[in-house]
Amino acid sequence: MSEVAVKRRSAQRTSLWGWLLALPTAWMVAFFVSSMAIIVLLSFGRTTNDGYPVFATSTANYRAIWNEVYLELFLRSLTYAVATVVISVLIAYPVAYTIALHGGRYKNALIAAIVVPFFASYLVRMYAWKALLSDDGLVNSGLRHSGLTDGVTFLNTPYAVVGGLVYGFVVFTILPVYASLERLDTSLIEAGKDLYHSPMRTFFTVTLPATRAGLYGGVLLVFLPALGDFVSAQLLGGANTYMMGNLVQQQFAEGQNWPLGSALTVGMMAALTVLMVAYLRATSTQRRES
Amino acid sequence: MTRRPGLELPRPTRRGLLAGGLALGASMTLPGCAYIRDDAPTDAPLPESAKAEIDGDLVYFNWADYLAPSVVKGFEQEYGVKVIESNYDSMEGMYAKLAAGNQYDVVFPIAKWVVKLRQEGKVRQIDHDQLENAHQVFYSGSYFNNPWYDAGSKVSIPFTVYKTGIGWRTDRVSSMTGSWKDLWNDEARGHIFTLDDQDEALAMAALLLGYDVNTADPSELGDIKDLLISQKDYLRAYSSDDINNMMSGDAWVHHMWSGDVLYLRQGLADDPTTFDFEAPSEGVPINSDTYVIPTNAKHPGTAMVFIDYLLRPENAIKNMHYLYYPFPVKDALPAFAELAKDVPACNVEISDLENENVFRLLSAEETQRRAAVWTEVKAS
Repeated sequence: MSEVAVKRRSAQRTSLWGWLLALPTAWMVAFFVSSMAIIVLLSFGRTTNDGYPVFATSTANYRAIWNEVYLELFLRSLTYAVATVVISVLIAYPVAYTIALHGGRYKNALIAAIVVPFFASYLVRMYAWKALLSDDGLVNSGLRHSGLTDGVTFLNTPYAVVGGLVYGFVVFTILPVYASLERLDTSLIEAGKDLYHSPMRTFFTVTLPATRAGLYGGVLLVFLPALGDFVSAQLLGGANTYMMGNLVQQQFAEGQNWPLGSALTVGMMAALTVLMVAYLRATSTQRRES
Repeated sequence: MTRRPGLELPRPTRRGLLAGGLALGASMTLPGCAYIRDDAPTDAPLPESAKAEIDGDLVYFNWADYLAPSVVKGFEQEYGVKVIESNYDSMEGMYAKLAAGNQYDVVFPIAKWVVKLRQEGKVRQIDHDQLENAHQVFYSGSYFNNPWYDAGSKVSIPFTVYKTGIGWRTDRVSSMTGSWKDLWNDEARGHIFTLDDQDEALAMAALLLGYDVNTADPSELGDIKDLLISQKDYLRAYSSDDINNMMSGDAWVHHMWSGDVLYLRQGLADDPTTFDFEAPSEGVPINSDTYVIPTNAKHPGTAMVFIDYLLRPENAIKNMHYLYYPFPVKDALPAFAELAKDVPACNVEISDLENENVFRLLSAEETQRRAAVWTEVKAS
């Protein structure tokens, strides 16, 4: 093939891609960028006396979010989200590893068995947890029958909230880790073993680095929704487990303060962007080093 | 979301969901620009009443499962129309959908939202002469001839009434005193729930302090905040899912709605005496749900017929046995008194309605000031 033909074909490909990109771009502008723009604009807005949010040029909402109580909430949410990520990774990696490397012909069935329950609404699953973990629920009845304890207070604790978040989002870690383990060339692991590495060392020097990308993705996919979630704290939480998501949700509902809710949203996005940039930089340097 | 008496696992109640997870739906369905406007109309002229004549199928907009299905089915059969049901999970969500121009024939707002809808001309007048059973709620001396939220009952017909008090497990707690102080009961420490509802929580503390339930006074709100924060040592959680919290054993003492206690006792419990209810002596909030017909309803005639049908005492009684809240329908009142005879505190008397502990429509600034206090309480 001549050089010209190759060039022409690649030019054609570029323009085809351009066209293919038009639709998603239009979609994102119409539904994502525009709604984000409304939130940003509204964060400078105010509420009329009749309760209607209107656009304005006030910075009062940003001054209002600079509040000690909100900062504490942010730190609490951050702690819950980090705990959720750590637990999710500890659960997801072994599960994904076992299925990808030892699942054999049951691989797809096993993945389906993990994914299908997640088709049920998150909310319904939270209610199921409530039924299971309440003081007179199935788990506590079982514990009492076994004579081990007189019952444990599971519900309305920070543990229940984090547990709910893990249960809600762990699949988002399992899938990307599974995908990268699936693609892993198992001969690398054998090579590691041939070089007299212990299984442990092989795992940390060969397997883990090779699946880093999936793991990093899985971490983000759990961290972000966990940080903004309000359902788990609402249904499983107690008097002291209020999260940022609850705070924002309250402004849009009972609080009748959309502009403040918008400012909180923008503030949280800004904080998250800083965290994400730091995370992405750290992980990409690590990747380059390895 | 169903609510059927006798079901083994109690489902969340509609009020439970008011503040519950389904608020997720509400916040997602809030429309964008349609709701953002600078020229909110006030005291618009009220659109004329429709005639009570069937003019199409009924598009019905209510809390999920908030009428006995047999009553709805009866209406379909008797009048040969279909009832197309839509649900909301919060008053804010209901209002946002109406404001966005969605068309419904009959809606069930809580009293203070009637004030707002009427002010903005979003609801039609309802001519009492068109309703055969109007005398069941509008009779000489009836509170509802001129309720605080709708002068002259021009746009609304009363649906249910209820009060907020304290429910408790008699098998766990024996030291109730008939005061809102019982929400600080040492015996139930760690098993006490306060409703996750801004108005209700602030009202409970306000009544204990001797303030108006609608107070937006900064110093009074400061006292309310301190009092509510002091309660956190005793609290298990803020939740409006009162029925489930009581059934599951998590709650021993629960800030709760009168009808939910009755539902627990009569509809769910093996032994009704396990649950009791008190209306604290400092006073209790009283509220009403109503029927209204939106201005842009497509079938206001069918809506009139439907409301008239629901006012029939036999239908009110069927609904009461399903919802366990009293309906202010004259000939149905004895049946409710019978239903609530072992816990008369669950009943709502005329004297309760006149006590003025009602949640009024406040200005946005006042609502926001109250919201800020409630947020700080929950967040601290």
